Amino acid sequence: MAAAPDEFSEPDDLDERERTALETLCKRLADDEFVLAERYTEWQVRAPTLESDLALANNAQDELGHARLWYDVLGDLGFEERDLIYERDPDDFRHSTLVERPFEDGNWADPVLRSYLYDVAEELRLEALADSSYPKIADRVEKIRSEEGYHREHAQNWLERLADDEESRERLQATLDELFAHALTLFEPCAPPRGANEASGDKPRAVDSGIEADIVDLGLRTATLDELGEEWLSIVVPYLESLDLAVPIDGDGDDDGFEVTAAALPDERGRDGTHTDAWAELYDEFTHTYRELGRDEPTAIMDAPE
Amino acid sequence: MNIDTVKERAGPREFSPADELPREYREAATRMIEFHANSEIMGAYLERPFIRQAPSIDRKLAFSAKVQDEIGHGQLLYRAAESLGVKTREEMLDDLANGDGKFLNCFHYPMESWVETPMIAFFVDGAAMRRQATLRRTSWEPYAHAMDKVCFEEGFHVKHGEDILRELMSGSKKEQQMTQEAFEEWWPRIIQFFGPTDDKSTHHDFAASVGLKQQSNDDLRNAFLDQYIPKARKYGLEIPDEPRIRERDDGTYAVEEDDLNWDEFFTIAKNEFEPGLGQINGRKTAQEAVDWVRETIERDASAAGGHAPQAAD
Repeated sequence: MAAAPDEFSEPDDLDERERTALETLCKRLADDEFVLAERYTEWQVRAPTLESDLALANNAQDELGHARLWYDVLGDLGFEERDLIYERDPDDFRHSTLVERPFEDGNWADPVLRSYLYDVAEELRLEALADSSYPKIADRVEKIRSEEGYHREHAQNWLERLADDEESRERLQATLDELFAHALTLFEPCAPPRGANEASGDKPRAVDSGIEADIVDLGLRTATLDELGEEWLSIVVPYLESLDLAVPIDGDGDDDGFEVTAAALPDERGRDGTHTDAWAELYDEFTHTYRELGRDEPTAIMDAPE
Repeated sequence: MNIDTVKERAGPREFSPADELPREYREAATRMIEFHANSEIMGAYLERPFIRQAPSIDRKLAFSAKVQDEIGHGQLLYRAAESLGVKTREEMLDDLANGDGKFLNCFHYPMESWVETPMIAFFVDGAAMRRQATLRRTSWEPYAHAMDKVCFEEGFHVKHGEDILRELMSGSKKEQQMTQEAFEEWWPRIIQFFGPTDDKSTHHDFAASVGLKQQSNDDLRNAFLDQYIPKARKYGLEIPDEPRIRERDDGTYAVEEDDLNWDEFFTIAKNEFEPGLGQINGRKTAQEAVDWVRETIERDASAAGGHAPQAAD
């Protein structure tokens, strides 16, 4: 029996369809935040000024905090930090490839642009989660939203400043050409989680499993990925163009507006379990100590989020 | 104000930018605060890989926050140093990149494994806490003021470092062993944190006479050993045989100075120690890679006809 959008079951009696939808949604949210934070921290002690160093560290910690909130929702399904990060198969991570891309040394245009592209998408998806049928998700949206607004403002300040300078704008443009296709993967559906069906093991794994439709039908999220993607394009394309940047996308935005087409997507999309080579390296680095010390439990030092 | 008046008046938080101070005082204070600020930056540089390598989200968050705090301390301290009118922040940061800026001996050593993190975050930061607590009474008011905030935040860092140590020393046999080995390697350096005995310290007399420095190296080292030898033992660490440490009748400790490698210490003090140079140059390369951003900010500022804004941060 399918639950009505506003009648999602209690954590203890979720049926298989609900479990899979909840797991898939939370993993994509949490993994995005976690991996983005991991990359942001690379700018600590390497940013252009002490002030920008502090600001980016701040954003990294905010994103880590959000990852903690979303991973914690997965605790309702019995997952622990060990299963979700330190002992998880790297192929099972579902973040967009936008967040896993390595930074080229000194390319400050990248974190600024990446943050803008990501934070606009983040705002839209939070809006679509504010009335989630899963109360814990809806409850956490407000806290996250208040911080994301600041991130976007920070990114835009920098973008406008860099775009105003010819040489820096060229760097922005080159970075945009690199990042844009990966940003589109933010709106791609996820492959089923490991063990959820027989498709695991195939790469790229089937993404047309209907899980994404379930996420919306069950009211976990109130907008579809297509809707979110189109809305995102309708914001970022004109904004970037207003900075004299050329956005690498077909179509002129008339009539039906822009849409995310398969042709515009990169080979690796993250959401489907395929990742760029940089991901394997990053995963090795952040699990290094855990493996080196033979740990079997990540250390919790803070209380679980309320 | 002449130097005799400075010495007469020298008391806690006695002097501020409103005072006309002799060059000798301003230079000594600049040297001391710049050293402190540089140490914050290079300490952060040393610890940053462990944000990534931290073995849990919570530890990662704490490490990222710690590294951020150290950069914040650097920012505060450069401001306190700048207010003496001898050097600008840019000059100090450039000197640090060029290998002319001096900083703490411990931050010249590379750090490779998580088990080393409490050597910095507990012992070195603990040692720094002792010195910093006395500096809240230094005669340069902006420096003392910066110390209020720094000491407050360092308190958390030391607690976190202690917790990492406790966890490692109550972990697997392998963890305990690795931690003990790291401790043996770091222990002499940690003791050298306080520098040579007072009679070998070049800057001590003047800095003490004008109230910049509040306690001698010997006193600080003693107080540190008093407090940290029992703590190390409590977590199951064995104090290495060398350097030999003798307990005096009054309960204080005397370190056999000849057991410490002072050649290395003074090579480090000149920024000529190979591993340390690697760190100085690593940071320099990272800074050069973002020169273009600072240049953009400067062009932006000169176009606006004003001073480089530090907004957008």
